[in-house]
Amino acid sequence: MTTRVLEIGGLAAGFCGRLYRQGGADVVRVDQAAPDAWVSDAALDRFLHHGKRRIATTDPLMVRELAAQADVLVVEGTPSYLASLGWDNLDCPGVRVAITPFGLTGPYKDWHATGSVLLAMGGYTYIMGDPDRAPLTLPGHYVQYQSGQHAYIAANALQFEGADNQTADVSMWEAVLSLSQFTTIMWTSNGDIRQRHGSDFGLLYPINIFPCADGWFHVNVVPTFWAAFTRMLGKPELEKDPRFAENADRLVNRAQLDQIIHEQLGGRTKSAIMRLGEEARVPTGVLQELHEVLADEHLASRGFWEEVAGVRVPKIAYEITDR
Amino acid sequence: MSQRPLQGVRILDLTHVWAGPLGIRLLADLGADVVKVEAPLARGPAVIPPAGAGLFVGGEPALDPWNRQALFIKLNRGRRGMCIDLKSQDGKELLLALVCKADVITENFSARAMIDLGLGYDVLSAANPQIIYVTMPGYGSDGPYSNLAAFGPSVEPMTGLGAMLGYSKAEPRNSAMALIDAVAGVSAASAMVTALNRRQSTGRGSRVELSLHEAGVSFFGDFLVAEQLGSQPEPSGNAHPCYAPHGVYPAQGADNWLAIACPDDAAWSALRREIDEDWLRDGQFDLAEQRFAQRSRLDELLATWTHDQNKHALAARLQRAGVPAGAVNTAPDMLQDEHLLHRGYWVDQALANQPAVRYPGIAIRFNQQESVHGRPAPKFGEHNREVLQDWLDASDARVNELIAGGVLLDRPPG
Repeated sequence: MTTRVLEIGGLAAGFCGRLYRQGGADVVRVDQAAPDAWVSDAALDRFLHHGKRRIATTDPLMVRELAAQADVLVVEGTPSYLASLGWDNLDCPGVRVAITPFGLTGPYKDWHATGSVLLAMGGYTYIMGDPDRAPLTLPGHYVQYQSGQHAYIAANALQFEGADNQTADVSMWEAVLSLSQFTTIMWTSNGDIRQRHGSDFGLLYPINIFPCADGWFHVNVVPTFWAAFTRMLGKPELEKDPRFAENADRLVNRAQLDQIIHEQLGGRTKSAIMRLGEEARVPTGVLQELHEVLADEHLASRGFWEEVAGVRVPKIAYEITDR
Repeated sequence: MSQRPLQGVRILDLTHVWAGPLGIRLLADLGADVVKVEAPLARGPAVIPPAGAGLFVGGEPALDPWNRQALFIKLNRGRRGMCIDLKSQDGKELLLALVCKADVITENFSARAMIDLGLGYDVLSAANPQIIYVTMPGYGSDGPYSNLAAFGPSVEPMTGLGAMLGYSKAEPRNSAMALIDAVAGVSAASAMVTALNRRQSTGRGSRVELSLHEAGVSFFGDFLVAEQLGSQPEPSGNAHPCYAPHGVYPAQGADNWLAIACPDDAAWSALRREIDEDWLRDGQFDLAEQRFAQRSRLDELLATWTHDQNKHALAARLQRAGVPAGAVNTAPDMLQDEHLLHRGYWVDQALANQPAVRYPGIAIRFNQQESVHGRPAPKFGEHNREVLQDWLDASDARVNELIAGGVLLDRPPG
């Protein structure tokens, strides 16, 4: 039986609905005021809302009637917005998920947020960018989409259990916090506050982006890849060079190493560097402009794009093949 | 709800590093019975961080560094742990016996690793036709890039995020936090709950493929759509492409900052009332169009107002006034935050003879109950015997035989 999903709210609820829609659910979206988006409504319509049915209403009675027909109700907004919909008495025979900036409880529950505010409070912003400049935020909707995924996981887990009339509370701030890398454990283990280091981690080197003939490339040389990287550079003698032999040496002498990387790879094209990385088995990537991602032969060969109203839209991240 | 929703779901977790363990942590937090299966060298010398780069609980590697890596402990809570030598025939047979009792098996090795081990999907599904096999190769199992080595940071610039993140188009930046691993990890958890529900209705097992690369491209796909519609998005530092102010502003003290955003006139009016300075009185920023057209100058003026104020106090004041604002937090800021403490967000785990350490919790609560969490991360091979007895009803003699034969280990060799 097709799952019926009622989605109310902004980008996080929209991403949750996108996952349901691509899985074959019947998704009805109740549009609210324009969300805090980095792209146009036309782009969001194609990316997030393709295949959904949409209703523009602020009438709580209509929302109530729709909720009564849904297997999954996903609502995004502040607790006061949820209250305006009559959330506490909004009955749904299936499962209900509330996505709020800070959760349904706690001292900040009525605070307002954008993605950039949540990234700042969640510890991301402080560590992105250059040490002697203002930290950087992430462009786009990372926070909202990760929160939408959490809502989707919560709803599916409750559906799997066969739960009725259960409510999940997804905090967007906590979603960001829960996905940190080293930020808290660097403090709790070593008493260090994680700093920003441009495009590198600060702990291991070289893990960084570098300029090349037609753009930028990235190599991820954790210690186990050092020997392979010296071959990628065409300088295997560097493996045992005392300036670079250990990670600590490479951190101290990074300016010299950067110079060698520039001399050996800086004049090459991105595609040539990708080939070298593949041959040496070193994790290597190149900075692809948006039009290059759209033209990427690998994505095309894997049938990754879905054609929607004249544009290519990425499919969701996974493909399930039944036995 | 008397139990966590995934209680009773059995997951074999062969994942390592970050993306896989992160996704499984979510499902373990939701109640799944997860058994981590590690290779003998999974926590051995090759993966113990080098001197100076290690993050060991208590600050020291001690005599068992493989059990003290903070990243592992953070990502692998809520599961039992085994070490099986999958290169041995007995190890393969043992894994297949466990597969027969499992609902899900998941790994994030390179595309051919499981096939080369003789444990591809055809073998796994022959052992258990209902098994859900989740594989997470960096670039997928086919296509021109399928043989590329992939780590999250090197995949990131290929997803579209690389074209958008930076101070300007001439100064691109990598997030330097392996962001794509976080995207792929949560996407993997999404895939697994989807597959579980699908199996519940079809009765059939499945193969689930998720590439780090595609997870990233999918996440930043709205920029790709916008590009095709002619808007040509590009990096703009901390500026928002549609409104101002939106930025990160200096605060009192060294390297202190706060984020402020005014996505609509109501937020701007509230901010304006709080600032109440002369430069606001000539009407030059009254309209949204004016603010956006003069966003650099507006940022400069705002910075002169914020720079000598405490980031936490100012953020709270602006929030009370209705302005989206937040301190640019560091780890101690977050660990001491009253809201998170009130919500019982953090999870404490303690090693023997060590004080408890706080780790990030889960963003999902059910019926407003506090977060629920399972057992702490396992020591290496800690539950070899327990799991075999629990899942396979194995005798002590059989377990001893496997230990003696080097099929089961509880410390890295060498």
